[in-house]
Amino acid sequence: MKFDTIIIGGGLTALTAGISLAKKQKRVAVIGAGQSTLHFNSGSLDLLGYDNDGNEAANPLEAIKTLPEGHPYHKVSDVKLLANKAKSLLEEALIGVDGEATGNHYRISPIGELAPTWLTVDGMASLHGKQLPWKNIILANIEGFLDFQVYFLKPALEKLGANVTLRTFTTPSLEFARQSPSEFRATNIAKYLDDETNVKEVAEKLNDMGPADAILLPAVLGIANEKAVAQLRKDANMPIYFLATMHPSVPGVRIATLLRRHFQALGGFHFQSDFVTEGEIKGGRVQFVKTHNMVDERMEADNFILATGSFMSRGLRSNYQEVWEPIFRLDVDSAAERKDWHNDQFFTAQHFMTFGVGTDDKLHALKDGKAIENLYAAGSVLSGNDFLKLCDHEGVDMITALQVTKNISL
Amino acid sequence: MNARTQLKSISGHELEQCLKCTICTVYCPVAAVEPAYAGPKQAGPDKERYRMKGELFFEQNLKLCLNCKRCEVACPNDVKIADIIQSTRIKYSTHGPSLRDRMLASTDFVGTLAHNFAPITNFALGLKPMKVVLDSVMKIDKHRTFPAYSFKTFEQWFKKHAAEQALYPKHISYFHGCYANYNYPKLGQDFVKIMNACGYGIRLLEKEKCCGVAMIANGMYKEVKKAGELNIRSMEKAVKEGDTILTTSSTCTFTMRDEYKELLGIDNSQVRNHLMLATRFLYQKIESGEIKLAFRKDYHKRLAYHSACHMEKMGWVHYSTALLRMIPGVELIMLESQCCGIAGTYGFKKENYERSQKIGSSLFQNIKEAKPEAVSTDCETCKWQIEMSTDYPVENPITTIADALDVEATRKLNRI
Repeated sequence: MKFDTIIIGGGLTALTAGISLAKKQKRVAVIGAGQSTLHFNSGSLDLLGYDNDGNEAANPLEAIKTLPEGHPYHKVSDVKLLANKAKSLLEEALIGVDGEATGNHYRISPIGELAPTWLTVDGMASLHGKQLPWKNIILANIEGFLDFQVYFLKPALEKLGANVTLRTFTTPSLEFARQSPSEFRATNIAKYLDDETNVKEVAEKLNDMGPADAILLPAVLGIANEKAVAQLRKDANMPIYFLATMHPSVPGVRIATLLRRHFQALGGFHFQSDFVTEGEIKGGRVQFVKTHNMVDERMEADNFILATGSFMSRGLRSNYQEVWEPIFRLDVDSAAERKDWHNDQFFTAQHFMTFGVGTDDKLHALKDGKAIENLYAAGSVLSGNDFLKLCDHEGVDMITALQVTKNISL
Repeated sequence: MNARTQLKSISGHELEQCLKCTICTVYCPVAAVEPAYAGPKQAGPDKERYRMKGELFFEQNLKLCLNCKRCEVACPNDVKIADIIQSTRIKYSTHGPSLRDRMLASTDFVGTLAHNFAPITNFALGLKPMKVVLDSVMKIDKHRTFPAYSFKTFEQWFKKHAAEQALYPKHISYFHGCYANYNYPKLGQDFVKIMNACGYGIRLLEKEKCCGVAMIANGMYKEVKKAGELNIRSMEKAVKEGDTILTTSSTCTFTMRDEYKELLGIDNSQVRNHLMLATRFLYQKIESGEIKLAFRKDYHKRLAYHSACHMEKMGWVHYSTALLRMIPGVELIMLESQCCGIAGTYGFKKENYERSQKIGSSLFQNIKEAKPEAVSTDCETCKWQIEMSTDYPVENPITTIADALDVEATRKLNRI
C-alpha cells in the first residue's frame, strides 16, 4: 500500500497530524495500536502549566522561554500560531473548547485540585482565578457511581469560595445500568444517557433539587457528540457544569471519537486495530513499514511520522537494562545508568519522564546519531519534557504534530 | 527470576500485558446494554487470575460474550481479552449445547438436509405456525428470518464447471463456506466470475467442512476440532501445490486463521499466510500490476459499508473498501464501525433476541440516515441481521464487483 504519509500511532498527536495533512489533500494513513491515552483525558488540554522552576505560568508563551534547551517547544517555529491552529482544528472536528494560549485558566482534577491549563472542553467546570464563579452549588452524584469522589470534591470546592450541598439521584435507566456495579462507569452511563428519554428523566430529578447558582455533575454525558449535554442543559432549570470522573473519561472518549471521525471524513485512512511491527531503513530513509495484521504488506510512503507515545502507549519500552524505541530502534535520550532513571522521592520530578526519541531541529528522528530524512517524531515519544512536572502534555502533542506537518510540506 | 517474570509474558493470550486501563470496557457492545454481563475487563483478565486457581471462579454468564473481539481491537496493549473469555469457556463450561444449539451450529448437517428440500424448507420456515413452534419449542426467536436455502448447492453447480476451470493458466483454491454453498451459491459464482476474468481457474479443496465458528460459540468443541483439523489438512495440500486459498466470508477466514490456533490449538502455521479473503488477494494483485479490472460504465450504486466485527479484528476493512472505491459507479459511505448484534447464532436464540437488537440499534439508525441503495459487508450473518432489521438489501463486496465488472474488457486487459 502506498500513501503520501504514514503516521504510526493513533492518539492526539497522530490524529492532529493526520487531519492537518488530509486537509492538504494528502493521502494519509493512521496506524493506531488500539485506542489511545485520550481515554484518560479529563476534558482539558495543557500547553504549559508551570515554568521550569515549578512556578505557575500565567502566560504559557512567556514561560516557554524558561524551558531547557532540549524541550520540544524549542523546535517549533511559532508556538502561538500553531497553538491557535490546534484550537481551530479541534473546533472543526466539532470539539467545542474555551481558552487562549496567551493566558492559562484552571482545570479541576477528579479530586478537586487545580492545575493551570490551556483549553477546556465546553461544559466542563473551569476557573479564571482561584474563586468559583458561583456562590451556591449543588454537587450531585448518581447513586452507586463510585468513580466520582464527592468527599474530596466538596471541601476542595468550598475552599474555592462556594457553599456546596451534596445530593444524589437516580433514574430508572440508571438503576438498570447499576445492576452491574463493576460496569457502572462514566462511559457506560454515558451510553444510557445518549437516549433522549433517559436524559429527560435526569433533568426532572435535577430540577427538584434547586434552587442553586449551578449544579455540578460528574462528566457522564456526551460520549460520541455534544447532543446529550445540550439537551440536559436545555431541559434543566439551573446552569449545569461537569467535573472530571475517574477514567475512562467521557470527554476524553468524545475528543478521540470526534477527531477520528473528522480525519476519516477528510478522506484519511484509519487502521485502528493494527500496529506497526517493524520498519526498513535504507540509505537514510524509511522504505516501508510492516504491520501485524497485514503481514506481507509493505506499507510505503514518502514520509513517516512516529507518534507512538511514551512508555504507557508502548512508544518506548524498557527493561532492567535499557530504554528503547521498539519499531526502528531509534536513538533514545536517556540516562545510561539505571540508578539515574528515577528519583527515590516518588512525588518529585522523575527523570525517566523526559526520556524519549532524539530528533534534530526539524524533528527528524535520529538513528546512530544521524537524522532519517523522511521520518519525523512528534508528541509524547519525543525526549525533553516531563508533562507531569510542566503540564505541557497535549500542547506538546498537538503543536509538535502541526510543526512536523509543516516541515513535511516545506 | 524477577527479570524473567518482568520480561516474559508467561500466561496465555497476553494476560500479563493487561494494564487495567479499562479502555476495553468502553467498546463492549454487550456490557453497554446488559448489566448481567461483567464486561470484558472483569470477565477476561481480572477474573482469569482467579480462574487460574480453579473452576470455582467460573461463571456461566460468560456465554453472554459475543466473541466480537471489539475489546481486543480497542486494547492498546494487545491483550487477547476475548480469547481469554472463550478459552475459559472451553476449559470449564459444563453447559453443553442443547438440541437447538446443535441445530444452529451444525451448518453442514442442517444445510445438507435443508437444501435437498429447499422449496419446502424455505416455505415452511417462513410460515407463522412454524415460527411459533421454533420459538416455543426450540427457543429460536420468532422475529428471526432464516436465510433461504438454495435447492442446488454451490458445490453441485461447481462440479459442472470444474472441467473448464482446469483450462486457466493460473489457479487458486476456494473455501466457499456454508453460506455460499447452501444459502447463496451466487456469491460463489460471482467469485468465480471475477477470478476467471482475471485469468485464475478455481479449485475446491479436497475436503471442506464448516469452519466451525458456530460450533465454538455453542460449545461443540470436539466437533469443531475435528472439522478444523480436516480443513487445515486439506488446505496444506492446496498450499503444497502452490495455491492461495481464498474466501468470501470474513468470519470463516478469521476463525481458520486465528481461532483455530488461539482457541483450539490446531496448528495452522503452514496455511495461515496463504489463506485470505478474496478482496485482499485482488487488491494486492491489482496494486502490484499483476491483474486489472474493468468496470461497466452503466453501473451505479450508492453503498453504505458496514465493518463486520471479525473484519475489523483482522484489520482488513481497507482491502474491501479500497476495491469498492475502484468501481467508478460506486458511491461509498462508511458507517461508524460497530457490532450489528447478531454474532452468528447468538441473535437467533430467543433469550438473546432483544439484546441482539439493542446492540445493533444505532447501526440500523445510521443505515437509515445514510439512505443507501444497499449495505455492503463481508459477513453473511451481519447481512441477515441488517436485512431483518432495516429495509435495505445487503451484499458482499464480491457480488458488487461481479455485478459491476465488464467481463469482456477485464479478460482483454488480463490477456485471457
